[in-house]
Amino acid sequence: MDTRDDRTGADRTGAVDELSDRDTPRALGPLGSRPGNGESGKRRAAAPRRGAADPVKALLHRHRELCERAVDPLEIAAGLEAHGVTDRTAARFRHRDVFSLAEELYARVPRGGEQGAEPEPLPVPRVRRDWVLLSLLPGVLGGATVAGLRLTHGHPRLLAAAVGILAVALATRAALRRGPLAGPPGTHAWRTAYGTRAWTLWLLGYALLGDGLLHAAATGGPDALPTGAPDGSWPTAVAPAVALTLACAPAAWCAHLLSAGARRRLAGSRGLEDFTAAAKPLLFGTFALFLGALTALLLVCGTVLHEPVAYPQTLALGALLLLARLLTVHGHRHAPAVALGAAAATEAVALALPLAGGLPGCAVLTAPVRTLLDAWGETAVPALACGTAALALLFHAGRTLTRASAHAPTEAPD
Amino acid sequence: MDNRPSRHRLVRLRSSRCEPPGQRRLTGQEIGGAHVRIGLLTEGGYPYVSGDAGLWCDRLVRGLDQHEFDIYALSRGRRQEDDGWVALPPQVGRVRTAPLWTAEDDGVAYGRRTRRRFTECYGELVGAVCDGTAAASEEASTDLADRFGSALYGLAELAREEGGLVGALRSDAAVRTLERACRAPGALCTAREARVSDLLTVTAHLERALRPLSLDWYGDDGLGAADLCHAAAGGSAALPGLLARHFADVPLLVTEYGVPLRSHYLALGPDTAAPAVRALLAAFHGRLAAEVYRRAEVLTPGNAHARRWQERCGADRARIRTVHPGMDATRFAEVGEAPDRADPGTLVWVGRVEPAKDLISLLHAFAEVRKEEPEARLRIVGAPSGPEGAAYLGHCRALAAQLFPDEAEGVHAVGDNPVSFEEIGGPEAPTLPEAYAAGAVVVLSSVVEGFPVGLIEAMFCGRATVSTDVGAVVEVIGGTGLVVPPRNPRALAEACVALLRDHERRARLGAAARARALELFTVEQNIAAFDGIYLQIVSHCPVRRVVLDEAGAPLPFATPAESHVPGRWTGPTARFLPRTVPGWATGSPVRATRLAAAEGA
Repeated sequence: MDTRDDRTGADRTGAVDELSDRDTPRALGPLGSRPGNGESGKRRAAAPRRGAADPVKALLHRHRELCERAVDPLEIAAGLEAHGVTDRTAARFRHRDVFSLAEELYARVPRGGEQGAEPEPLPVPRVRRDWVLLSLLPGVLGGATVAGLRLTHGHPRLLAAAVGILAVALATRAALRRGPLAGPPGTHAWRTAYGTRAWTLWLLGYALLGDGLLHAAATGGPDALPTGAPDGSWPTAVAPAVALTLACAPAAWCAHLLSAGARRRLAGSRGLEDFTAAAKPLLFGTFALFLGALTALLLVCGTVLHEPVAYPQTLALGALLLLARLLTVHGHRHAPAVALGAAAATEAVALALPLAGGLPGCAVLTAPVRTLLDAWGETAVPALACGTAALALLFHAGRTLTRASAHAPTEAPD
Repeated sequence: MDNRPSRHRLVRLRSSRCEPPGQRRLTGQEIGGAHVRIGLLTEGGYPYVSGDAGLWCDRLVRGLDQHEFDIYALSRGRRQEDDGWVALPPQVGRVRTAPLWTAEDDGVAYGRRTRRRFTECYGELVGAVCDGTAAASEEASTDLADRFGSALYGLAELAREEGGLVGALRSDAAVRTLERACRAPGALCTAREARVSDLLTVTAHLERALRPLSLDWYGDDGLGAADLCHAAAGGSAALPGLLARHFADVPLLVTEYGVPLRSHYLALGPDTAAPAVRALLAAFHGRLAAEVYRRAEVLTPGNAHARRWQERCGADRARIRTVHPGMDATRFAEVGEAPDRADPGTLVWVGRVEPAKDLISLLHAFAEVRKEEPEARLRIVGAPSGPEGAAYLGHCRALAAQLFPDEAEGVHAVGDNPVSFEEIGGPEAPTLPEAYAAGAVVVLSSVVEGFPVGLIEAMFCGRATVSTDVGAVVEVIGGTGLVVPPRNPRALAEACVALLRDHERRARLGAAARARALELFTVEQNIAAFDGIYLQIVSHCPVRRVVLDEAGAPLPFATPAESHVPGRWTGPTARFLPRTVPGWATGSPVRATRLAAAEGA
């Protein structure tokens, strides 16, 4: 049969039974051959049923979508093969194999100009109830703890403090596991993670107890453990601590705003420079929003608890913690660890120097801290330490978090 | 025994095992042992229980117990890792696995010079990917392949010396480099359209695809000590093999039963990603496949279809050796060798019910057959695959009920439909071989088919077959069955009638089909073919390693010439026959029983 001759021999591995050759009705598909080679066309038993002057055109029409949206001829070849087109089929279109047929289709289909539909934007993280509620939890527990401290005395008060601190810690940990404040999945160096955690705890502890301790150290050493009352010998700054726990919620919202806004800008920008230009105002705006929210919270806490609130140091600490968390969330773990460590070390040195000054012959060590305290008071130490670190982190975030790679969608591990 | 240092580090450990002398396995340490140490590379496959192509790898490893296998497996997901491994035979020296689905950033931050080196290599790589001038000339495409290859190896060397490649591939520098390459003159038109989100997607995908570069498999205690690397699939499974070839000159053998590039195209359809992403990823995978095909010593596609794709992607025709997948023939032996007891008017279709099998066309063809042969019956044996298949099966049942009214022998008998739908394990067809044995003619009516397993099973059973000309059907059936065009019920019907009427021709075709299947598609031929290819590769391109003494000076004559001689030339008989002897003639009966026993256990 003459249609055999069109086929390439590549696929035939064995001798063909002559009976199958004679008897097999190698009938011809509905599509006839192209005009101009009427030799085989005339001999066909049945004329092509559907009028097909150009069989490739019919094929093109049938697979129009595949051909229009294909990025190269091989994709058309793969698609055609998935639809059952083989080299034998291609031979009917006067092609050596599917690949050359696909090349003709690729060349003939009109392309360019239309670029299909607008590509789907990256999935924007949504507001979910679980992280919204979880981010409120530390603040609620912090408030409850303070209420407990105010209402109890003696041993129950100690117990309430311990339980409260534990509850707040667990709630914070839960809030940082879900939602926009959650770090990227995947393993990372344990030293960085534990370092960050330890420094953060130290900074928070200093915000709670540090000013009183420093004052006591500068004036001769603490005589008793803190009692939780603002007017004791070792005063604890409860209002800023409560405000910071309450600030978990605005922090989560700010992180959400940042990542959602960055996703939207990712979809909208054409080049990396465009994205960076669009992301800078977003980052700084979010940051300012958080500072505003924290100030308001401080104001409210100070009023409710009737405590003086040290704004600069708490704002600096809040800013530092937010920036560190944002950087961690977006995959930059190193810089936050360094900045938090530096701030914590500064505070530790500021505490250690007056205490060491009590040793014989070391009185000179107290001079720098004493100068600072005389000039600006105890609050200057944490404000300077955290403020400097926060500024450094802000500068770093302005460079790294405005890059597109920081907002690349992370794959979900299965 | 000789006390020369071993060619292989691990052999010394292995031969120190206390085994009876009679059972001690031949190791490379013994002079002239035709013992090949094979690094078997799999991706989402063999040692894992839920891997694909696992059965083939298992048979290969078990069948070639004279060689030593080290398995290097890339896993695809946590669930696969949790499922564990299959039982491994003793010739598997060790298994090293690495997850491809998760990346561990080792936290190495590059210095200025290293970063520049990375940017250069990565820029060269993505430049070769984005280049749209490849089709211009032969020279240009060769040049492009060289650029891609050297950039790939450059990145691998960087990962080996400095580490931290995972982080670098995700970094902003990588995205920036990609953007530059996309905007460069001569880049693909589609790549120029890439937006920031597309760049990020492509960067993430490249990072995932290039994870094998960061593996620590290429040292002297890993793939560097192997005599050859056998990649069980192309694509990322072959990437470690490419690197082993680059670092330690280990020859690479790539077996492809499917075409990874083709499945990539099908998986990344128009609706899954933006055109720029698809164009860039397709170009990357195309270049990677071309590099694998260029560097592989031997390519063994499983069928002519895979071979055509390989040739199309630039594989050298002289290095391609088609090795058909092997199937277990023993379960069909009884049916195949017994005389034909089938009802002479029965047509049988066996397979999974899904739309690609075109049962509608088969039913229409059977209607034509019934006009000629009123006694004919059609048995459709198979379970539906998935909800789509179930819906299709219901559709087919309805059509069969419409086309063929129930028939009875007489006025008082209960009627029955001439078309029956059954499943394996039912009373009519308890086992697969019996389902085939029930039919005088086995019909295959698919419109899309890869490698038709059902057809080979029918051939093992010695059935005459009528099949549609799709996929690898013609290649499999050769001249031992009838082939008709797809979507042509009348041609199918005519072929079926011709066979139903001619008992002698049926018997002849069935016997020829069984002989052909036993020659080409048994497990034994598959294993023998790979054994031959291993020995050929080891003899043609032996890995020359310089053995060092304790002081670090090279030891001359540490690897004597005899160690490269294939075959046990000290023994009484040659262990391996020359390649002119067909694979199935080399004492296969013995191995077949052993294999069967191993599978039964």
